Amino acid sequence: MSKPLENHWTAVVNGEEKHLEIAQTTRLVDVLRTHLQLTGTKVSCEVGRCGACMVLMDGEPVNSCLVMAYQCAGSDIMTIEGLHGDEKGTLHPIQQAFVEEGGFQCGYCTPGMVISTKALLDAHPEPSQEQIETGLCGNLCRCTGYGGIIRAVRKAGERCVVKETSAEETVS
Amino acid sequence: MLLNRKQSGKRWHLRPDGAPKVTGQLQYLTDMTLPDMIHGRVLRSEYPYARILSIDTSEAEALEGVYAVLTSKDVLGLNRFGIATPDQPVFCEDIVRYVGDAIAAVAADSPERAALALDAIRVVYEELTPLNSTDAALAPDAPELHKHGPGNVLHRTEIKRGDAEQAFATCDHIVTETYFTPRQMHAYMETEGGLFVPDEEGRLNVYAATQHGYKDRMQLARIIGCPEEDIRVVSSPIGGSFGGKDELNVQPYGALLALRCGRPVKMHNSRKESVRAGLKRHPMKIEMQTGMSREGIIQAHRVRITADTGAYATLGAPVLNFCTEHCLGPYAIPNVDVEGVSVYTNNGLSGEFRGFGGNQAIFAMEGQMDRLAEIMNMDPWEFRRRNMREKNDPGPLNQRILVTDGLSQVWEALDRSELWQKHQSPPADPALPPWIKRGVGAAIAMHGAGLGYGIPDPAGGRLSLNNEGKIEVAFSYEEFGQGLIATLEIMLCDLFQCSTSDLSIIIGDTDRVPHSGSSTASRSTTMAWMALQRLQTPFRSHVLTVASALSGVPADELVTGPGGVWRKGQLPAETSEVESESGFVVSYAELATQGEADEWIFDTKFDYPTTPDNVVGGHYLYTYAAVAAEVEVNTLTGETKLLDTRHVVAAGPVINPMGYIGQIEGGSVMALGFTLTEDAVMQDSRYVTTNLDTYLIPTIQDIHTNLEVEAIEDLPEGDAFGPRGIGEIGSVALAPAITAAIHQATGIWVNRLPVPREQLVRPLNVPLQEGVSPS
Repeated sequence: MSKPLENHWTAVVNGEEKHLEIAQTTRLVDVLRTHLQLTGTKVSCEVGRCGACMVLMDGEPVNSCLVMAYQCAGSDIMTIEGLHGDEKGTLHPIQQAFVEEGGFQCGYCTPGMVISTKALLDAHPEPSQEQIETGLCGNLCRCTGYGGIIRAVRKAGERCVVKETSAEETVS
Repeated sequence: MLLNRKQSGKRWHLRPDGAPKVTGQLQYLTDMTLPDMIHGRVLRSEYPYARILSIDTSEAEALEGVYAVLTSKDVLGLNRFGIATPDQPVFCEDIVRYVGDAIAAVAADSPERAALALDAIRVVYEELTPLNSTDAALAPDAPELHKHGPGNVLHRTEIKRGDAEQAFATCDHIVTETYFTPRQMHAYMETEGGLFVPDEEGRLNVYAATQHGYKDRMQLARIIGCPEEDIRVVSSPIGGSFGGKDELNVQPYGALLALRCGRPVKMHNSRKESVRAGLKRHPMKIEMQTGMSREGIIQAHRVRITADTGAYATLGAPVLNFCTEHCLGPYAIPNVDVEGVSVYTNNGLSGEFRGFGGNQAIFAMEGQMDRLAEIMNMDPWEFRRRNMREKNDPGPLNQRILVTDGLSQVWEALDRSELWQKHQSPPADPALPPWIKRGVGAAIAMHGAGLGYGIPDPAGGRLSLNNEGKIEVAFSYEEFGQGLIATLEIMLCDLFQCSTSDLSIIIGDTDRVPHSGSSTASRSTTMAWMALQRLQTPFRSHVLTVASALSGVPADELVTGPGGVWRKGQLPAETSEVESESGFVVSYAELATQGEADEWIFDTKFDYPTTPDNVVGGHYLYTYAAVAAEVEVNTLTGETKLLDTRHVVAAGPVINPMGYIGQIEGGSVMALGFTLTEDAVMQDSRYVTTNLDTYLIPTIQDIHTNLEVEAIEDLPEGDAFGPRGIGEIGSVALAPAITAAIHQATGIWVNRLPVPREQLVRPLNVPLQEGVSPS
């Protein structure tokens, strides 16, 4: 007997096509953590306030605790495990900046914070203080007081801009 | 020294746990899974106060996929826990005393099925009227929540010196004020949970966060009724704690379920359950009366502290001791009359929280100082100096304390700061609309570290050369984010001139570390430093002796360095090219093959330094801090925005600048929440603010981006205690600085936290009308 069709879920997660047989009301955070064992996405408030479970869905940051399987079926999802530098296994400039500037302590908010920073810098490569505050106000951190995070985001922004500029120069 | 990355130079040390954290690769204990694991859940009380008439678990037990349903009769040993006073039931037998009280626990093959099983447990209660305030609990006819009475008093404290009553009669000015502080929530991002795994040898492996693995092990052994050695507690890494995970939380349930089912059990509290069941900061009412002479010298101080400790003792008594000690501030006051009481209520569970009762006390005491200074029409900072204790004066409890210049140094450094100078001439910005008011305030504090006199406070550690040729240290401390592992790396590299790749740092695992105390009370760095001071000489001596025997080079011509032992004066400048350099003698790996493994292991045990005087809870080592804050108050909305802050901290040498800044910044923002927004509101002993959408911790939009940290590193020559703890000091003195700034901005004295916005709203300047009373 074949499984009911409505439980079939498929999406691209970190560049790989994934197929799962799950209830369509499964939350994306559970799809990731439980079914795909991607535990970099953290669970904390479960009401969309803290941002610990932030992932990119078709390039937009979303709280994965608020998205159900049917809402993200067929989409392109990037979790913290999908973010890396030029080569897999290296740190993305954002991650590197968080390490260098002390942009984390316990680290539990960090994956979500890094993902939100990615979305912020994709939209605003040279963010103003106001844009940083708006872009990250959906992510709570209880350890750092945000000082190290702001310094990390600024540094990551500078690096990403430098990198993009030099890439353009190479092309031209 | 103004502490920042630039000033820190080479000491800016990247954390070894950085890459795994920013890539999401780090497995927290709540991330762990095993193929055959099942899921545990706890049934908690429906009422804050009720009698349990019956519990029927038969329906839950009959459900498919349910492996176990446990109640009080299934507890194998002691049905109680609590670090200091084990009075909290694992499962309630007859009475529930707060909404987090556990009645039963289930294990099932999915979290959903476990939830269904909880729903199927039938509990019949007789609801009782909760004691929803300390007043209600102290009423003569109030029912006693615990049998040990008298009444609902957990603990009383007292400091009496001189004759306060007589002194007040001679005072020229007296300030009387009552201060109220909120039920603050730790709000660590990782809620409580973990994995509980019985193994084939009959041992139980507990993977769950705590600040003191050995204490958990002892308590769990008592609950299970087994030898402590039958339990292994793995307790790091931790997604934040701030004192909130020091007491057992999910561990008793996970442990009992795993043993009953003989399979791994995973527990992970939802945020709502974490709020309901977890510890909070003690809400306190602090009544203060402070009298001074015409010259502005404080003569008398009367304090009455009432702490709402909630349903069980936890560390309520030590917290009250700490608050009592700190409500005199760093001031010399001849006549003192302090009484504190910690009261059982049905209002949740209060316990330890960063600052440990100091935050409440310092808010009140510094508030008094500002009010007194205003009466004197005097600069409040100068008023403080006039009343400050002298360097050689005894501590707040009249106990001997270690003499340092910390207090006067932080006072002077803040006095010089640009931010505090603004206080003298309040900034008048004509561009601001008239309803926006600005002000600057400041506060000072001395904060004790360690558990205090009369409480066992063991320390120790192990240093060894392991069989892989790594210099290994093992401590029973925990990494909950503070950067302890990075600090240990720095200390070891400093001591042995080795590189980080030569190190193996073991913490958070009772099978692998010696009993060396807890990571609490701002003391891990000090204790680790003291342990390494004791261990370094015997360890180095053995390393060099063996290296000398191997190489024929006299031991006194050898030193430890990167990769192994080197000839003195020939250590490489950089640590990259090790063995190719000519001065290299022998590698640590080769040394480790010499002799028996035991010969390479060095242990030490000692106690955290305490005052020699017999005053319970009295501290010996203090950290000093001064804080200035500039605020902007919108008198139309009552909103206060913190614009600028400077923290000056005197805590001895800065070992780990990144960690130091992080702790002060983090503590400061946590204190900002304490001051302006955070309150776990209860109505009839039930939480109203049940998640982070209504319980408001600061976001990146709420903080003061101009936060400066100035570290004063001086210690007396030959100081034997090294760096002092800074885990709490950033969080203890901001609140009074903010409320002082609010006063300068608006003229309003705030006595309640979080600052009630409605108190700061001023009506627009409308002409008086008959029948309308302007407030």
